[in-house]
Amino acid sequence: MDKLSLDKHISRQFNSDLEGLKTDLLEMGGLVENQIADAIRCFEELDTDIAQRVIDNEDTIDELEVTIDEQCTLVLAKRHPAASDLRMVLAVAKAVRDLERMADEAQKVALMAIALAEDGAPARNYPELQNIGNGVLAMLRHALDAFARYDVEMALSVVKDDQAVDLEYKAALRELISQMTKNPSSISKVMNVLWAVRSLERIGDHARNLAEHLIYLVKGKDVRHVSLSEMEKQVHQ
Amino acid sequence: MNNSTNSTMSRVEKTLARRYRAEKRFRVYGLLSILFGLACLAILFTDIISKGHSAFLQTRIQLTVELDPEELEIDDPTDPDQIRGGYYQGVIRDALAERFPEVDGRSAKRALNALVSDGAVYQLQDELRDDPALLGQEVSLWLLADDDVDTYVKSRREGQAFAGMLGEDQVQWIESLIASDDLRTQLNTTFFTASDSREPEQAGIAGAALGSLLTLLVTLVLSFPIGVAAAIYLEEYAPKNRVTELIEVNINNLAAVPSIIFGLLGLAIFINWFGMPRSVPLVGGLVLTLMTLPTIIISSRAAIKSVPPSIREAALGIGASRMQMVLHHVLPLAMPGMLTGTIIGMAQALGETAPLLMIGMVAFIVDLPAGVTDPATVLPVQIFLWSDSPERAFVERTSAAIMVLLAFLILMNTLAIWLRKRLERRW
Amino acid sequence: MSMNEQYASAVGGANELKEGRSMEAYTDLAGTDHAEVSKDRTREKTVGKPLLESAKMSTRNVKVFYDDKQVLFDVNLDIGANEVIAMIGPSGCGKSTFLRCLNRMNDTIDSCRVEGDLTLDGQNIYDPKLDVVPLRARVGMVFQKPNPFPKSIYDNVAYGPRIHGLVDHRAELDEVVETSLKRAGLWEEVKDRLHQPGTGLSGGQQQRLCIARTIAVSPEVILMDEPCSALDPIATARIEELIAELSENFTIAIVTHSMQQAARVSSRTAYFHLGKLIEVNDTEVVFTNPQHKLTEAYITGRFG
Repeated sequence: MDKLSLDKHISRQFNSDLEGLKTDLLEMGGLVENQIADAIRCFEELDTDIAQRVIDNEDTIDELEVTIDEQCTLVLAKRHPAASDLRMVLAVAKAVRDLERMADEAQKVALMAIALAEDGAPARNYPELQNIGNGVLAMLRHALDAFARYDVEMALSVVKDDQAVDLEYKAALRELISQMTKNPSSISKVMNVLWAVRSLERIGDHARNLAEHLIYLVKGKDVRHVSLSEMEKQVHQ
Repeated sequence: MNNSTNSTMSRVEKTLARRYRAEKRFRVYGLLSILFGLACLAILFTDIISKGHSAFLQTRIQLTVELDPEELEIDDPTDPDQIRGGYYQGVIRDALAERFPEVDGRSAKRALNALVSDGAVYQLQDELRDDPALLGQEVSLWLLADDDVDTYVKSRREGQAFAGMLGEDQVQWIESLIASDDLRTQLNTTFFTASDSREPEQAGIAGAALGSLLTLLVTLVLSFPIGVAAAIYLEEYAPKNRVTELIEVNINNLAAVPSIIFGLLGLAIFINWFGMPRSVPLVGGLVLTLMTLPTIIISSRAAIKSVPPSIREAALGIGASRMQMVLHHVLPLAMPGMLTGTIIGMAQALGETAPLLMIGMVAFIVDLPAGVTDPATVLPVQIFLWSDSPERAFVERTSAAIMVLLAFLILMNTLAIWLRKRLERRW
Repeated sequence: MSMNEQYASAVGGANELKEGRSMEAYTDLAGTDHAEVSKDRTREKTVGKPLLESAKMSTRNVKVFYDDKQVLFDVNLDIGANEVIAMIGPSGCGKSTFLRCLNRMNDTIDSCRVEGDLTLDGQNIYDPKLDVVPLRARVGMVFQKPNPFPKSIYDNVAYGPRIHGLVDHRAELDEVVETSLKRAGLWEEVKDRLHQPGTGLSGGQQQRLCIARTIAVSPEVILMDEPCSALDPIATARIEELIAELSENFTIAIVTHSMQQAARVSSRTAYFHLGKLIEVNDTEVVFTNPQHKLTEAYITGRFG
């Protein structure tokens, strides 16, 4: 049952319905990925133009979320999917929600970048932010790849990466707090950075959710709220 | 796309007219067949009815008869033996002589006496038996005329008088009787109450009808239960194997065997081997049972087969035994079909002549059969016998007997339809 | 074109496509699996949980033959007390044949031969000494097409109790008829016309009448062979509701072509394929995460 084949329905229409869901999801994932990458870049360079673009693009993603949700509803109503088909539709519906949240978080990062720029902070590399940002970007990319290939191993690696990101987030938090205590006048600026880091960490959590949805889709097992080792055990069962 | 549909439509339209013409022709053929059938039927009916209707009337002559005890040789009219032994011929002759006093001479008198049927004596006998007080009195009676008189009177009314065997003086006497209103035609009750006779005016259908009835009764009593039981066994119980297949094939073949073969079989088995009497309805019924059994079995099986299997399953599924299933569900539903088949078989048997000839039911029988072991004849055989008789009066009687037979058949078919309707309404 | 028409034509188009393909797909499926099945015959076992600790009916190594053609291969299945077990599978997979083994309805088919152990409360139901009539009173059956007797509604329900001699007098019979019709959810609709023909009812009512007729003899197990296939969705919903109610008192085995129905009414689902019992599992498992690829293919409408 590792091989998931969502085509081969007797109804070709059904095949294309499900295929459409997946394509749209990946497309949306690609957009969100860009948003996050842009958000990270605009933070590094304190480029308000890019930040503004991130904020504007948010609408497109919202629209896409609504569209995919409607498609899911339609498939449920028309096809009464069962088993893997049903899990597919449910996983897509949930993943879309997570992607939308990620886009929201990316927007927040962009907003923080604008706030920083308006505060007149110098453009400087925020290594913490960069590390976490690259980490979650990779997680999202992997999660989407996993979706594209129904690859549970990759999904598991995303879950593992999330733990690493969490650790980095804690380290960054400590670092930023120490900055604030050293230099209280920078508190408002550092707070902006802190919010951005926190948003990125949230993005990582959502990427982990995506991976969990995929595991549910492929394995039919609900691995939310379980430890990594338990998850691995269930996946490899 | 548009082009191709256009060309398709134009092609279709080209053939359309031809198709409609063919359709119309097809309908007309069917209609013609039905009309042909109806025409044949109409011709048959007109012919038979036009020939036979007059047989339902008979001619009677009014005479004033003096029931003189001495002439009759009866002194106690309550004694049945004396009534039966009475010399009625004499008083009738006296009455005729009185009516035609001018007639003289032996041969002339005989010719005069021949106007009245020999059967008239039985009429007097019945009158006297019914009312002994009439003895010694003078009564005016309508006496049965001879068949030649009957024929003359009927043909005269139709325009061309047929004298036949009648002499000139006889014709004159008849004319004088008509002139004085002493001759009339009335409903022929004799035809329905009497049995066969050499004298056409005394011949009736009752004996043959009763014979047919008794024969059919025997046939029905034997063939219906046997046929239904066989059909049930074959449909519900018999294993499907070569033996049952063989039986099935044979039953189907039997239905196609010429009926005279059954007559030969009956003669060989029932009469020669079992030593049953000849000419009796019992043997006729047995033979006709053999003949109708295949029909009944086949139609009963078809009726049983047409009971939906879902009903059987329902009964079995609730825990009914096989017999309960058959008796409670299959039989009631199959009954209309079985009855229809049986009545069709009976109608077939009613019209059957050949096998009955073989077992001697062609005999000339004057008495009404009182039971299935009394010699009797049946309607179709009676028709056969009469059609063979030379007297002109038998021609109309033959047709009349055919009408009675047809009436019987129509009655049986009506009964079949009514029964089926009736039983089906009870779902 | 209105919205409705548009939708209808879209759905219709999809259906056409589906039907156009389905036959060929079917043969395709049968062709490939035959080879596979015969290759793996010895080692293939029913996946899931076919056996129970305490079973109302249990079957072991059931094989059924029509003449020389084997149509069921070693079916091992337990049916628990008061559970609703659904049997699904493509046409000709043997699910109906299996169901009919459970009250020996297959006996009526001359060419049918059943091997293996089938027990009801531990008693072998194919024991030659066992009388099939009381067995069928204990294991009742409801058929695909509503098949009320062409008698009155009352007589339909009263038939079973009458032939089995379950009642002593008329009042008792009246009571049995009333309770059976009430349990079948038909009483309110027919109480004023008990003596009218049962065949005059609507299809759904007829089927409920058949269910009433079956439960009138208080069976322990009720077998249902596609009971809703001839009914409209509303009548189907009523019957499904009724099945849920009946499951409190009866053990129910239902064969259905509608997977949705199996999902709705049953607690366990058994999937048959080409005469083999492929998978038995709790219904929620079968319909969300079946363990066998054939089950998955069937319930998701796939082939291959």
